[in-house]
Amino acid sequence: MTHSIVSALREVAARRSEAPALGRRDWQWTYRDLDTAKYAVQAVLTSRRRGSRVALLVRNSPQYVALYYGVLAAGCVAVPLNAAERASVLARQIEHCGAELAIGEASHPEWPKLRAAIEPHGVQTLELSISQDCAAAFIEALGAAHTAPESYEPGKDDLAAIIYTSGTTGRPKGVMLSHGALYSNATAIIEYLELTSADRGLCVLPFHFSYGNSVLHSHLLAGAFLALEDNFAFPQVTLQRLQDEVITGFPGVPSTFALLLGRCRLADFDLSRLRYITQAGGAMPRALIERLRAQAPGVKIFVMYGQTEATARLTYLPPERLDAKPGSVGIPIPGVEIEVRREGRAAAPNETGEIHARGPNVMLGYWNDPAATAQVLRDGWLSTGDLGHVDADGFLYIDGRSVEMIKVGAFRVSPQEVEEVLAQIDGVEEAAVTAIPDEVLGQAIKAVIVPRAGVELQVMAVKAHCRQRLASYKVPKVVELATALPRTSSGKVQRFKLAET
Amino acid sequence: MADALRTQIRDFILQNYLFTDDASALALDDSLLERGIVDSTGMLEVIFFIEEQFGVKVKDEEMIPENLDSVNKIAAFVEARRKAA
Repeated sequence: MTHSIVSALREVAARRSEAPALGRRDWQWTYRDLDTAKYAVQAVLTSRRRGSRVALLVRNSPQYVALYYGVLAAGCVAVPLNAAERASVLARQIEHCGAELAIGEASHPEWPKLRAAIEPHGVQTLELSISQDCAAAFIEALGAAHTAPESYEPGKDDLAAIIYTSGTTGRPKGVMLSHGALYSNATAIIEYLELTSADRGLCVLPFHFSYGNSVLHSHLLAGAFLALEDNFAFPQVTLQRLQDEVITGFPGVPSTFALLLGRCRLADFDLSRLRYITQAGGAMPRALIERLRAQAPGVKIFVMYGQTEATARLTYLPPERLDAKPGSVGIPIPGVEIEVRREGRAAAPNETGEIHARGPNVMLGYWNDPAATAQVLRDGWLSTGDLGHVDADGFLYIDGRSVEMIKVGAFRVSPQEVEEVLAQIDGVEEAAVTAIPDEVLGQAIKAVIVPRAGVELQVMAVKAHCRQRLASYKVPKVVELATALPRTSSGKVQRFKLAET
Repeated sequence: MADALRTQIRDFILQNYLFTDDASALALDDSLLERGIVDSTGMLEVIFFIEEQFGVKVKDEEMIPENLDSVNKIAAFVEARRKAA
């Protein structure tokens, strides 16, 4: 039998039915609750054909998890949507992947607009309230069919999920992940983090994001407990929960730790049970790592690297090597091979080139986009678009990106997507965006706009236009009006010069 | 006085997160997080704004949704802190 996260969860639920699986501040779902709720979702979807796409616009919650696993158990494909994104972008993604059904959270601010956009095109919708916490209320709201669903055993290369990432409106990029990829990445993470059923994680990362997704699956497959936090706006509240709920593991991105250390004192809390912290989602400044270590002595810090196209994880730095290998993102996780290539051949140690990866966690390709897939997948190897080098001991270092991409917080933003939206503004002659350094987020977006002759553009109106069409983190923080864009002699916009003006 | 305080807080949020002067875009009791108006880094900026604008130091333990998640909550928090001072 092929292992999948669905069959693995079924086994865990049978073994640990009364153990807590997921929790919010004042209530929990056991593995039995999760399994029952997942079964109800599966029953609702059982008549759908294999491979049918089901989009989910639901924030982090046990209900989201039941929906995700239920969709997979029914033989359908989960398309978790970015809850920070706007309805127009999401509607385009739903159209792009041909989803037949979208399940949304009634109180999500974009859900009514999304429904109105997709229902006329024949997409069915199912609206759920997740304000009630217990599994029974969720199952009742689903109106589950009484027929027992068929048991579906996926093959390892069967499509399980599509995650949309940093494409443009005209060309969404849907990363296709197989059942085998989700399973292998989760089990590799369990292995190097040494996750067991005694672990209690706290997740502030969104599940639609590959890092959050991997935290979720690895905890469930280990039979561990995962506490959920909707947002990270109140780090103090999160710290209180780390203490009160005896949390053993806390995953974050660099901005998580910048916010955590910005205003709070970790020493005010009893974090003696905290076993490890993981960090991925972009380079974290060394000074921040050192502050974190000083404030959380004895806690293992795992610096990691990966990308959505590899399900999530590619490498990790064993915590005991943090001092010996500063700046490194470590060694490949179990089952993964890393190769740095330069001009088509393997680079020598310490020579910078493009990072390539191979392993069971590499995506099947981009949905319905063979050209984009062919650019990054060749002979089973994934070109990551990241530049790096491997030292003589086999440790990987990231040196930059070969592909233009802005990273705000840990989220990838395609400059073209923002430029498309800016170009729609009446009175804009041309526009280009670039990354500028940001203390908390690592990078922020700066837009330089050339207004058409005689037009007076208001910066606030430009931002408002963007906010209506883009997730908040994609809205340029700085908008500058200029008379021309810096260009090369061949006419290409020089993005790096935009930051200077 | 109380109304002026609310207006000032609302204007800050309207201009910096909703990019508008239209007061009808934000009700005084709207949850800033639920409505997706302010995210985690935005909340830190709101705290800096409160401290700079109103001369109120926000203590660690006061950084909770009950004090900060709507215009009315922020105004009530600032008023209470001013009275206590």
